[in-house]
Amino acid sequence: MTDLQERSGVGLVPVPPRPAQPLRTRVSRWLLSLIAVAGFVGCLRLADVDPIELAQGLPTMAGWLVQAFPPSTEALDTLLLRAAETVAIAVVGTTFAVILALPLCVLAARNTTPSGWVRLPVRLFLNGLRGVDAFVFALLFVAAVGLGPFAGVLGIALHTWGSMGKLFSESIEALPNGPLEAAELTGAGKVKTASFTLLPDVLPSISGIGLYLMEFNIRASTVLGVVGAGGIGQELKNAVDLLAFPRLATILLVILVMVTLVDQLSARLRKRLA
Amino acid sequence: MTALSVRGLSHAYGGVPVLTSVDLDVEPGQVVAVVGPSGAGKTTLFRCLTRLVRADAGALEVHGRDLQQLEGAALRDARRDLGLVFQSYNLVRRLTALQNVLVGRLADVPTWRVVLRRFPAHEQALAASCLDQVGLLRFAHTRADRLSGGQQQRVAIARVLASRARVVLADEPVASLDPASAGAVLAALRSLATSHGKAVVCSLHQVDLVAGFADRVVGLRDGRVVLDVPAARFTPDVARDLYTPELERTPAR
Repeated sequence: MTDLQERSGVGLVPVPPRPAQPLRTRVSRWLLSLIAVAGFVGCLRLADVDPIELAQGLPTMAGWLVQAFPPSTEALDTLLLRAAETVAIAVVGTTFAVILALPLCVLAARNTTPSGWVRLPVRLFLNGLRGVDAFVFALLFVAAVGLGPFAGVLGIALHTWGSMGKLFSESIEALPNGPLEAAELTGAGKVKTASFTLLPDVLPSISGIGLYLMEFNIRASTVLGVVGAGGIGQELKNAVDLLAFPRLATILLVILVMVTLVDQLSARLRKRLA
Repeated sequence: MTALSVRGLSHAYGGVPVLTSVDLDVEPGQVVAVVGPSGAGKTTLFRCLTRLVRADAGALEVHGRDLQQLEGAALRDARRDLGLVFQSYNLVRRLTALQNVLVGRLADVPTWRVVLRRFPAHEQALAASCLDQVGLLRFAHTRADRLSGGQQQRVAIARVLASRARVVLADEPVASLDPASAGAVLAALRSLATSHGKAVVCSLHQVDLVAGFADRVVGLRDGRVVLDVPAARFTPDVARDLYTPELERTPAR
């Protein structure tokens, strides 16, 4: 008797053999793996991946790194102002998105939409907004309203409207149906039931989503200046164009500190919501 | 006038009859317990009574209005005379007990007041008195998810009271409660009939809860009404007979 048998008091039984996989399953698995590998190799080619070029470029980059020290402290106040502008773009853009997304998410959620004929176009519209990046919207708005942070605000607001509407409607769909049904059976209309019985239940999850997208938008706003839509990205582009490496180092540090602070703050707030 | 009158209600799911020619009359102030083994059609009966499911045939009159024939806005309006109590309470978890009772008043309060949560003082006082009726006034400002299951169900009963529905349908309201809480919930339902003249139809799983609660007992088996007696005549023998499968029943009865 083995040790295990003695301890457990249970006899040992041989493990039954695994059922054999049919040939078709095995062949199709091999084929799928092959297609996946071939696809990846194709992507490597398309993306011009060349380790030798990277190796040749490394010394140049190391040189830049050396030149970047010590980071310049010249006109630090301008940089900080630009950083604040970046945060402002994200805060205002995200807030506009919340205001725009709230009514649409009710129309886009399966359990609260008045009809499928309303839901489909609303979802298509939101998906369209989500499909175009804030950066691309900002590029268009720079042409329309001119250079500056306002173009960035509009870009962030439009793209976030789409993402937020979709995420909000998904959190509505995750709610239990009972309380809503109970309220509707009392004869109250859609607006009343949505605002009184739906909102309190989704509020924690939509505030969490709002904070998360705000945090995401602050990171996204750091590059908006590259297309002239305001914020610290403008300074970033200037420094790269002028090969002013000490200044570039300072800008990157400012971005890093700003993003870390925002991440910490947002994580802390979201923890309190949960 | 009869509060709820059901005539020849029949329904089938995919060709399988679930309800066959059910007749049921409930007077104002009367409590009718619907009992029967699992699969007897109790849940389908309740879904048909609320028109969440439209029965294949039959008439369904609530205070003289035939719900079977109504659609859309007219149906919504007629349904306001029905108050529903669910097995899972269906309260809004993050609203207070008082706010949950106010849900029963939504239809009569202007939209802007609902959106801004500015309920008129008389509506709030009405909700408070409904909460008092079920003995929970001291929990008025407690969030629903902080209350016990039995307390939540009593808040749901207060909500029905606030809605002024004259017919109350309760589908297994105490199925997930301990005996003490179940007793308090049934007492609250009972007082809807006794003190407020509502007609109450309540399905129950535990037959021992019927005594002292219902005026009449309706037994369902295989989708048919096989029993309709005053509660006093619903003896343990009668109950056992209702729950005994066809094949095991002694032919003498």
